[in-house]
Amino acid sequence: MNGYAGKILRLNLTERKVDTIPTSKYQHWMGGHGMGSAIFFDLVKDKTIDGFHPANVVTMMTSPLSATLVPAASGRTEVQGIGVQSYPIGWFTRSNLGGRFSGMLKFAGWDGVVIQGKADKPVWIDIRDGDVRIRDCAPLSLWGKETWDCQETIWDYVLSGGKPGDWNSPSGKEGGNTTQRPAVVTIGPAGENQSRLACLIHDASNAAGQGGFGAIFGSKNLKAISVIGTGHVGINNPKMLMATRLWQKENYAFDLAHLRETWGSFQFQSPPAPIVEWKKGRPKIDQRPQACLGCHSGCRARYKDASGSEASCMSTSFYGDALSLDIQRSASDLINRYGLNACEMVFGLVYIRILQMFGQLKTANIPNCPLDFSKYGSKEFVGQFVKMIAYGNDGKGNESQFGQDISGGFVRAAEKWGRRKRDLDSGILAFPYWGIPVHKEPRAQVYWGYGTLLGDRDINEHDFDWIKWEYGQAKAQGKRPALTAEEVVKIIADKMVPFQGDLDMLNFSENNIYSEHMAKMVSWQRYYTRFWKQSMLFCDSRWPDFVNIHRPDKIGSTGVAEPRYIKAVTGKDFSFLDGINLGRKIWNLDHAIWTLQGRHRDMVHFADNIYKKRPLYPLDVPNAHLPGKENGKWDYYGYSKRTLDRDKFDEFKTRFYRLQGWDTATGYPTRAALEPLGLGYVADELEKKGKLGSK
Amino acid sequence: MNESSNQADQNDRFGVSRRRFLQASRNVAVGTVVGSTLSGILWLDNAVAAIPASEGYLLVDTKKCQGCASCMLACSLVHEGVESLSLSRIQVMQNSFESFPDDLTIEQCRQCMDPPCVKECPTSALKADAKHGNVRMVDKEECIGCGKCYDACPYTPSRPVVVADKNYGGEVKSRKCDLCAKASFHWDKAGGGPDGKRACVEVCPVGAIRFTKKIPSQKGDAGYKVDLRDRNWGKLGYPTN
Repeated sequence: MNGYAGKILRLNLTERKVDTIPTSKYQHWMGGHGMGSAIFFDLVKDKTIDGFHPANVVTMMTSPLSATLVPAASGRTEVQGIGVQSYPIGWFTRSNLGGRFSGMLKFAGWDGVVIQGKADKPVWIDIRDGDVRIRDCAPLSLWGKETWDCQETIWDYVLSGGKPGDWNSPSGKEGGNTTQRPAVVTIGPAGENQSRLACLIHDASNAAGQGGFGAIFGSKNLKAISVIGTGHVGINNPKMLMATRLWQKENYAFDLAHLRETWGSFQFQSPPAPIVEWKKGRPKIDQRPQACLGCHSGCRARYKDASGSEASCMSTSFYGDALSLDIQRSASDLINRYGLNACEMVFGLVYIRILQMFGQLKTANIPNCPLDFSKYGSKEFVGQFVKMIAYGNDGKGNESQFGQDISGGFVRAAEKWGRRKRDLDSGILAFPYWGIPVHKEPRAQVYWGYGTLLGDRDINEHDFDWIKWEYGQAKAQGKRPALTAEEVVKIIADKMVPFQGDLDMLNFSENNIYSEHMAKMVSWQRYYTRFWKQSMLFCDSRWPDFVNIHRPDKIGSTGVAEPRYIKAVTGKDFSFLDGINLGRKIWNLDHAIWTLQGRHRDMVHFADNIYKKRPLYPLDVPNAHLPGKENGKWDYYGYSKRTLDRDKFDEFKTRFYRLQGWDTATGYPTRAALEPLGLGYVADELEKKGKLGSK
Repeated sequence: MNESSNQADQNDRFGVSRRRFLQASRNVAVGTVVGSTLSGILWLDNAVAAIPASEGYLLVDTKKCQGCASCMLACSLVHEGVESLSLSRIQVMQNSFESFPDDLTIEQCRQCMDPPCVKECPTSALKADAKHGNVRMVDKEECIGCGKCYDACPYTPSRPVVVADKNYGGEVKSRKCDLCAKASFHWDKAGGGPDGKRACVEVCPVGAIRFTKKIPSQKGDAGYKVDLRDRNWGKLGYPTN
């Protein structure tokens, strides 16, 4: 079918064997996450293994829309496998990175990569169209290199005999030509040393940050995957694809001639301004916007001094106490070069800093901390901190138990130090679910917290997050929001099929956040993201297009645009609701895997702090306002200062499980829920393991 | 192909230094055509056959480009019906680790006043097409895939794309920018060419590619790599000079 390369690359590192899986075997999952989960389920027989076990399988999947002109859907790669970040169990999890890796995979003729086993010594994968080699790292001295050096070394090697910017034939004279550099995904020293904070890096700052996939690569002795492709992706209706792209550009994207906003946001309509959170703002030096393959609006920039280039979001939040903007920008580069999970670095550094400020670092159970806090804010300090985690030492090449502890993650370090529960309860260790750092305030944006807790990782899905930003921006400018709370809720709820029209799904008032309505909201987001964002790989920064200020009616293109693109690329008639339904199936499969790993309803709770204490410090927007209905009146209300109710949250879980058709006593999936989804074989496996729900 | 061997080939073909030849003819051209509208007027030079000037040109702003390569995807889409960076007539090349503005370049066909690709084509498959505003275009029926146009192009990367064509049973055929004049999968009823719509121009999200009927300066890159940044671009925090 058009949109697909037709085959998936299967690598067995233990046997150094290269094989293929026909994409058709998994095509009913459409792509990305759905395919990844299905492949994982088939290939990993024992789901209870640790993420570091050689039998763990990592999948890196594209979608039929990858490498196409579909805006903000062309450049992302979905990464899955058993993670090593979450606590106490490393859940089967996902991450995702942008850039051009997925496009290059498709142009090389591959719909994805499946990685099995463990190499006997460090290797990297060299993919040049259909020619795939498992190469030793030693000849290029790749093992030990930072992520940027590693990529440049591989570029030089693959293009040897040619030069970037000219036509090269990386597959030899019989192969095709390209002017492009290979797309390389690599780990840095953090991954090599199996830090649980280690991530995958591609180009300067595309990162699969969550899950610890860098450490998993490291455990498999896999340094990098390089791909360069000279082929093409078939398109069912090229004219329709082009026309649809231009229709959206004309009607829904920013208009440079009539700019309505000048800042970057997580919306389709956002202009191409970098979403950076450096404390002193964006550097006022020459720069350009920078976008992933095919994106209509880049969300990062490249700078005249190259510092902080391509960094955005969390990687720019790190080291907010830097003494200067230049130092903070260089800190963003550091975590990319060493290959570290930005979110955990942000909240981990806050934790260590608070312990130090309150004299707790010198308590008996904590090994000697080699950091000199008189230099806090300096480049030297952050350099040492980053290296401590990347190398598991004192950051200067010497052994350090403290460095080793935090290299394994901050919650595990706190556990070793005998203070995990205490610090989670007080809130200074801001990792309220599964040992994962907080991101958005779960007491206010409850769908974010619920989704994370009912899933496997910080959801990091901004589908509804922009609402508070829009309100905050308007308020800061002394204006009224462009739309009332009720108008926003109506537009969004109307698109949330099959629950459309239920406005209370977006009612964040105290009396509604444990309701059936909120269970629908969380369910919808789980289904929507599992399919449309993580399987079709529509980018989280630009989709969905719910509310669009460029339209007279303010109604965005989501629900209409996505199926048009699928039709144009694949020829398949596939509605927005079809995608939600397939998302439900994928969500059920993932939940079944977590159940096989040991998930039980009783485990699904926030850290006590979320129930007992108000937030210790505000996250992103202080006193963020959300839509709510109080005394029958819709408006934007501040909900950031409340706590959640443990018992009521427990009742919410019952409502949520019932909505899924799962066993409300255990949270286990039931046959009645799985079979209609075509997951009878999953029910069989659960039953065999004594984990099939009964009601 | 490396630069020195390319130069040697060119010297052989022309009997004199090709670069010196081009430079001489450009020196004649620049003073008379820059900024004027010579569309349709024959370009004459003592040393070359008369080739009418193209009625359209693509200009790019390499400092405004966001590197999304949408132009490349659109180019291959409307011409070949597939998505491919390798089949695109316009090439965007970038390096994540380089500093702005040296991190990125865009290389488009210049529709040269004095097009070596046209002159070197042994079958006249590559010619200034009078039906389409004298755009330098390849007639694939006539193309024998010899690659002389590729070799003749003095720019890097060479603008003609000479590869196997599935529509011709895998025979090697040349393609080059035709300003979408004969794009088989053109989306608009008006079509392309100098009086129609060009895919790369239409799709570019940031307006980093512009079409003009004015003949750009043929000397160096300045006529083709231009400043398309306006006040609103500055409002987004980007340089406008």
